Amino acid sequence: MLDDIIIGEYIEKDSIIHNLDPRTKILVIMFFIITIFLIGSFKGYLALAGLLFVTVLLSKIKPGYIIKSIRPLLFIILFTFFIHLFMTRGGEVLWQWKFLRIEEEGLTLGSFMALRLIFLVSYTSLLTLTTSPLQLTDGIERLLNPFKRIGVPAHELAMMMTIALRFIPTLLEEAKKIMKAQQARGADFQSGSLIKKAKSLIPLLVPLFVSAFRRADELALAMESRCYRGGENRTRMNVLTLVGRDYWALGVSFLYLVGVGILF
Amino acid sequence: MNSQQIKKLAESGVSLALAVVLGFFTIYKMPQGGSVSLEMLPIIFIALRWSWKDGVMLGTAYGVMQIMFSNSIFHWAQVILDYPVAFALLGLAGIVGNLAQKDSLAEKSRIISLGVILAGSTRFIIHFLSGMIFFAEYAPEGQPVWLYSLVYNGSYMIPETIITLVVMVMLNKVLVSNYSLSQVGQEY
Repeated sequence: MLDDIIIGEYIEKDSIIHNLDPRTKILVIMFFIITIFLIGSFKGYLALAGLLFVTVLLSKIKPGYIIKSIRPLLFIILFTFFIHLFMTRGGEVLWQWKFLRIEEEGLTLGSFMALRLIFLVSYTSLLTLTTSPLQLTDGIERLLNPFKRIGVPAHELAMMMTIALRFIPTLLEEAKKIMKAQQARGADFQSGSLIKKAKSLIPLLVPLFVSAFRRADELALAMESRCYRGGENRTRMNVLTLVGRDYWALGVSFLYLVGVGILF
Repeated sequence: MNSQQIKKLAESGVSLALAVVLGFFTIYKMPQGGSVSLEMLPIIFIALRWSWKDGVMLGTAYGVMQIMFSNSIFHWAQVILDYPVAFALLGLAGIVGNLAQKDSLAEKSRIISLGVILAGSTRFIIHFLSGMIFFAEYAPEGQPVWLYSLVYNGSYMIPETIITLVVMVMLNKVLVSNYSLSQVGQEY
């Protein structure tokens, strides 16, 4: 049940894309997502495919990983495609069999929507493939900084996520251990009705909960004794700085995406 | 930041990790990304233990982490609605009361039940709206969009809410009767 879990999908490599500031990457992804929804023709997708191709090439990530990230959503992509294929009417009739009928517009709209999903998933997965979760939270905190003035607790949010990223593997490991211990005592986590399954989680949940909160207690003590005082005036070991390549990446992709959005 | 606030932050962080871990124990999974698990439990717990504001913050953080890990992105507005907003509103469970201020088990159970039902229904409403707005095209021909969204989102939100409720009440019972105060934190 827990063996096939991968947290995040970060692959460490030394590439231009990996070395970009996380903020740059998040912003480019945002431009990309907006552009996808502005595009109204297949030519636009061709242009986006070019950008995707170049980014993948620069990131040194094997294309196989990108394809793998599409797999969990394959069902919905196919579903979208077929729904549009059979339901949309208009244009010439391409194929007919009893009540099933494919018309030209259906084929166009179906492939259009399916491509949109494929592009969304593959480009966003590039972000998690090339950015470690810690960098991502750091980037999110810095991007939210301007909103601190209107009361968004950016530092607390990022701190929470950093703590969580540190503890997810520990708690997972612990959950596995407890599961094995309870299974050795005859506990059954897999079968039964919904409620029965939920009830079977109690012997797992109680020790997990208690130990998690005990850890939180210890962590709070450790933070306090190291004089943690929140985000004000806190310094960092690795400060995120935008350098030349970040401005280049932002500028080039912004211009390209605006161009694609306007032209197609 | 005083020591109480630091403790709150540490507990929220660990609860966030707990929510992610519990999210992995899916009891069943829907094709379009909804799944039944106990992920809501730690968020509601923090909301009831500290305050609704802390619950909302934790929920937001959980929503952002879900975007980072899960890739169910179909539309930029849908992402914001389905993740940070939907989970942030789970924190509203905290407005029904505070676990630390109640002494008897019956009262604690009552607060938990109310909190879970409130949290579950607000999250359901958000997913329902998101479904109506962004997933309209998936609805089969002839079926009204609102009905499709109602059925689809209800199919996992109702079991998830019931399971969270049952498990949380039971968990609370075990924690109160079997663990001394120092083990689970001073106020529990």
